[in-house]
Amino acid sequence: MTIVTGKTEARGRLQPGGSGLLRRIWEHRADYAYVLPAMAVMLIVIAYPIYYTVELSFFNTPPGLQLRDKIFVGVDNYTAILSSEIFWKVTSNTLIWTLASTFISFALGFACALALHRDFVGRGVLRAILIIPWVISAVAASYIWKWIYHSDFGIIGAVLVGLGWADRPPNFIDSVSTVLPSLIVVNIWREFPFAMIMMMAGLQTVPEQLLRAAKVDGANAWQRFWHVTFPHLRNVSTVTILLLAVANFNSFIIPWIMTGGGPSNASHIWITHIYELAFGRQRWGVASAYSVLLFLILMMFGYFYVRALSGNERKDGSV
Amino acid sequence: MSTLAETAARGQARRRMRVDGWRWSGRIFLVFMLLYTALPMIWMLLTSIKSGFAAMQFPPQWWPDEPTLASYQKLLDPQNSVGQDFLRFFWNSLYVSTATTILSVIVAVPAAYAFSRFTFPGRNFLFFAVLLRNMFPAVIFLVPLFILMRAIGLVNTHGSLILTYLTFGLPLAIWLLKGFYDNIPVQLEQAARIDGATRFQAFILIVMPLSAPGIIATAIYSFIGAWNEYIYAYTFLSKNEQLTLPVGIQRFFSENTTDFPGLMAASFIMSVPVVVLFLVLQRYFVRALTEGAVKH
Repeated sequence: MTIVTGKTEARGRLQPGGSGLLRRIWEHRADYAYVLPAMAVMLIVIAYPIYYTVELSFFNTPPGLQLRDKIFVGVDNYTAILSSEIFWKVTSNTLIWTLASTFISFALGFACALALHRDFVGRGVLRAILIIPWVISAVAASYIWKWIYHSDFGIIGAVLVGLGWADRPPNFIDSVSTVLPSLIVVNIWREFPFAMIMMMAGLQTVPEQLLRAAKVDGANAWQRFWHVTFPHLRNVSTVTILLLAVANFNSFIIPWIMTGGGPSNASHIWITHIYELAFGRQRWGVASAYSVLLFLILMMFGYFYVRALSGNERKDGSV
Repeated sequence: MSTLAETAARGQARRRMRVDGWRWSGRIFLVFMLLYTALPMIWMLLTSIKSGFAAMQFPPQWWPDEPTLASYQKLLDPQNSVGQDFLRFFWNSLYVSTATTILSVIVAVPAAYAFSRFTFPGRNFLFFAVLLRNMFPAVIFLVPLFILMRAIGLVNTHGSLILTYLTFGLPLAIWLLKGFYDNIPVQLEQAARIDGATRFQAFILIVMPLSAPGIIATAIYSFIGAWNEYIYAYTFLSKNEQLTLPVGIQRFFSENTTDFPGLMAASFIMSVPVVVLFLVLQRYFVRALTEGAVKH
């Protein structure tokens, strides 16, 4: 008896107008029309590439062969990566790059937002100037800073020599020991405005009454910041830091144009390394395996991102 | 009594000093950030009005001895080959960015509206799948997209760029616009429905006009993103006459790396349209960008 009932129910579900998920989908069929074009684009240009990258990561293309002549090698690409020396070099570079860029950008942006929160003459102009590095192209930024760091005619070197702090202009981006910090300075230059914008918006949501009440109760500026302002900014801080971290982890243009990963891999991060493996050395399989690993790491970021955003999602009804 | 008053006065003075201390450290910090932000851009401008010879001096000329607009004239002059190339890159960038912007808005508006208003099955899954796209770097998609574009015959066309730019423009566009739709009261549409409008009519006639600031913000974001994009343009296009500005100026100056004034002038011209667009419309843009993140 029970089995028969189960069968009827199952059959019922498959028909439009039956019960369950399919029926709900059918009832909402008009809604899908709105998201269909977006989904179609995303599916073609995202789902397919992800599938292809995973497939390619199990193959090798010896030099001189075309991509279609790929040879199946199982997990060899993955073991090769994990046992290579450059993997650890690039990974530590990526960690330094991501953590330093993210936290310094965030701290500077947050501090700017706090300093700009109070109204004063010229605030609007100042804010606009501070935002510009974020708007201009990373390619232009890379060239500007390359010129500033230039080992013969660079302006920073000239200032250091002029002040007597150096005998000759230092090789900021041509030297293994200084290249990564020098690039991080450029990256922060481009990114702190984003943190500033986000935190300025966050500051506007802090209730004035609470701050005033705290003041009446005798809290000093630091206490008001720490006990009232900061807790209100937890959400926006989390989202901002996550977005910065992901953007930094995925950086390409600044290191690629300024140094190409050199000298001696000192400024190679994951993304530039993958690009060089694929398009520089035609090692598509290894590059794909790297991409898959990257993908897994980013899914982790994605989990936290979605969780942070879900905290903000409003539960509102439909029409 | 007097001592009590004195103590109170001293306490007040100390508090004022502390407040002033905060304010002053804030100001000093802002001056420092202003220098950090502006000096590189000022140095770009100063270099761009030097001659090639004047730029190559040590110590540098802080202010150019003989300022010249020669670099700009060369880049913007359609009569010589440098100017022809540069202007073509400029138009290519404008074409690709405008097309991307228009398509992004057309595709994102209904999707964002649906995500904001409807509760169809799979809504949350699809929305977060869209957002997750922002997680992934362009490089991951390069090889397969290159092969895909070759298969559908779009390699070496601007179509390949427009289609690709849609994928990273759309997620943000959908997110930005959804924030705007969330803030438009549902009651407005319900009133229109009661008056006999269909859901689609209510959407077009009531919601669209109200979300104009969001659409403007989305359009700016798409435009700036496409204008500044480098990796795909660098990989998908090989013919000189198709290049967009970021890749174009690189090809240009990799042959002649000593022409720093020219490079700085090109960087400046490349930055002008997006900076102007942003500064004029930043009010909308900033609001849209931060809306989703600051909600409680």
